[in-house]
Amino acid sequence: MHEFSISDEIVRTVLDTVEKNDVGKVLSIQLEIGELTLLNAEQVTFWIHELFKGSAAEGAKVIVKTIKARIKCESCGYKGGLTSGQQDHFQHPIPCTCLKCGSFQVKVEKGRECILRKIQAMR
Amino acid sequence: MKIIKTRGPEVFDIELEKDLLAKNRRLAKENRKRFDRSNILTIDIMGSIGSGKTSLIKAILKRLGMGKEVAVIAGDLTTTIDAERIETEGARVIQVNTGKECHLDANLIRQAIDRMKLDGVKLLFIENVGNLICPGEFPLGAHQRLVVTSVTEGPYTLMKHPYIFREADIIVLNKIDLAKAMKVVPSKLEKDARKINPDAPFIRTNALRGKGIPEVIRALGLKI
Repeated sequence: MHEFSISDEIVRTVLDTVEKNDVGKVLSIQLEIGELTLLNAEQVTFWIHELFKGSAAEGAKVIVKTIKARIKCESCGYKGGLTSGQQDHFQHPIPCTCLKCGSFQVKVEKGRECILRKIQAMR
Repeated sequence: MKIIKTRGPEVFDIELEKDLLAKNRRLAKENRKRFDRSNILTIDIMGSIGSGKTSLIKAILKRLGMGKEVAVIAGDLTTTIDAERIETEGARVIQVNTGKECHLDANLIRQAIDRMKLDGVKLLFIENVGNLICPGEFPLGAHQRLVVTSVTEGPYTLMKHPYIFREADIIVLNKIDLAKAMKVVPSKLEKDARKINPDAPFIRTNALRGKGIPEVIRALGLKI
């Protein structure tokens, strides 16, 4: 739901980097979005393309990689992924219980990121 | 920043590894330190539009009777309606208009506390923008996060928005007096809450009549 503001921040960071690095044209940018964020990759991509218009990054490819969720169970020490909990109608993984022991004491280790990893550019 | 040249001299990669959500989390931690240094217990009140966030804050303030020892940051898109409603309870109020943004973030809170006179303040409420989606992802630095939902939102709100209820330290079910009319069974909502967030107290309130408010105050660790 806050795709626009995040996209705006990504675009600002890219254009700021462009200015500091003597870049002629941005060819692509690489993003990594955690699956526990509430960011929709398609909407983020759309806004970035729109906001890039009229800049050195116009037309740049936006590559989005998903970071899978990883939890750590404080009770049994399990480290790993999550179920999508489909029995409760959840279509997305929700960090609720440990897959192994069912404990609620789970800590999210991965899946909450929105990383601007790399910019590919030309002089 | 590391610059790696690839594919000949013209095309190159600029590696950034910048986590844009981490920035908010970092600012939230700084806000928390400021609250701790000033001994101000800070509570973030989240919930959907019309769930009763302002009414709950008003009811708590009325019961506490702490006057200017309480401050409220009221977040809203463009109006000062909520700020004015809270001001009548004697608290210091600052309005943060987000303009178009659907949530408050740690940076907006930092700006708000820069502008506020916080000397003598012991308790700070932050009323978030009415929304069950975005605020969950943007911690503000508050000590506790309370989510208000109401029976008028129907029987599925908790299951539909597990992320925000998972983030909550306290869950409040408001407008409990209307449950029958809405054909909502509060114990079913409580069961949903237990499933998503077994640790958070689940408190039933009728904020307009003050019902359940002492329980909320106790859950916040405050004394009446």
